[in-house]
Amino acid sequence: MLVPGVLALLPEYAGIADPVAELRAACVAALGSLAGAGSVVLVADAQGERVARSLLGAAGVAADVVPASNAADPASDPAADPEGAAYVVVANGSARRGEKAPGHLDERARGFDEALGRALRQVDAEHLTRLDRELADQLLVGNPDGFVTLGRLLGGGQGAWRAEVDFAADPFGVQYWVMRWTCES
Amino acid sequence: MTLKLGRREFDDDAMLMMAIVNRTPDSFFDKGATWAEDKALARVAQVVADGAEIVDIGGIKAAPGVEIDAAEEKARVVDFVAQVRAEHPDLVISVDTWRAEVGRAVCEAGADVLNDAWGGADPELVDAAAEAGAAVICTHTGGATPRTRPFRVEYDDVVASAIADTMAYADRAVAAGVDPRSVVIDPAHDFGKNTFHSLEVTRRIGEMVDTGRPVLVSLSNKDFVGESLDLPVGERLVGTLAATALCAAAGARIYRVHQVVETRQTVDMVNTVLGRRRPARAIRGLQ
Repeated sequence: MLVPGVLALLPEYAGIADPVAELRAACVAALGSLAGAGSVVLVADAQGERVARSLLGAAGVAADVVPASNAADPASDPAADPEGAAYVVVANGSARRGEKAPGHLDERARGFDEALGRALRQVDAEHLTRLDRELADQLLVGNPDGFVTLGRLLGGGQGAWRAEVDFAADPFGVQYWVMRWTCES
Repeated sequence: MTLKLGRREFDDDAMLMMAIVNRTPDSFFDKGATWAEDKALARVAQVVADGAEIVDIGGIKAAPGVEIDAAEEKARVVDFVAQVRAEHPDLVISVDTWRAEVGRAVCEAGADVLNDAWGGADPELVDAAAEAGAAVICTHTGGATPRTRPFRVEYDDVVASAIADTMAYADRAVAAGVDPRSVVIDPAHDFGKNTFHSLEVTRRIGEMVDTGRPVLVSLSNKDFVGESLDLPVGERLVGTLAATALCAAAGARIYRVHQVVETRQTVDMVNTVLGRRRPARAIRGLQ
């Protein structure tokens, strides 16, 4: 599962009106599907972990939530994590998609996100594991390590993955995806 | 304590806008702009749209002038209250009057609050409020006669006087049968007070809040603002809002105003800075 690490999703940053209501609803609905999971492994940076834990709480997921052993090192082996665990990756696309975007406009952002989005939908594990990290950093991509780990997870499955897109938009010049992958074997 | 204003109840942390609607040809700020009934009704509709919870309808200007007897005062406000009630069933209607006779008539026509700007000049006003289940605003005038200007008035301690008099008035209202949740106190800026008195009351408004009774402040475009900044009526909004901000920070609950939108923004901003209210919508830096 993939959700973006948007700080506006945290209760401490709530206003009277919710500027991310639609995104929040998509995240909570998607994470709610993990209610029966034995444990949830988070692939996230520190901020992303706060966001994910808050959303899991809002979704009523009572499973053990543990940070991935490989979160800091995408080259390590995801199999070191608990068996049968559900993975939640907290990451997002570029924050430089427009002149009002947090990182202002970078002309390369849309092409980068388009290719990344396609890889997510088509389960192109190789694209994810070979993500251009330097470019991702320049484009203010949220937690690029998460996409690399996601690629390793999707590349390691035995059966065919089915991808579902719950949310894909860039309402504030930042590309968000809420997506689920289930193994159909 | 919950604040009960006739048909409506408000939470402890709610700060309310009371919009002034004059049924007079000669009030100092609007100079008769809503003397015509259709203009007054339009003013009510506008302030409701602006978010005012309360309208304060007055038939006599505060300053000295042509004498308006009770019959004339009633002619100016009673039917008007009934019309406002018909058009705005949930609006809190306050009437600015010191006369019990007028108070009884307006409550029968649908008023929720009697705003006694002259501090209990008519001792039966509280009975009128009690009989109707209306709220009462207990103001401090230092014993001034209605429609007189302060002249060489001095106090040992104007805030102590305001607290003592308004709390005594409040006790009298409760003893008369007014619901304790429906008693509001108001230091009455500029009533029986020179500019220095009104400034001191503003500076120390927190002492009135500390009494536990909800506090109303009526600052809007008044002479203490004008004398502080050397500005005529019509150029006192900024000064009014600065004083409003201090009162909001101290916890005053009701703001009797000409300009609803500006005052609401001021009070909301103060409460947001102080962490009592969340930002309307925050996304910058949090995307």
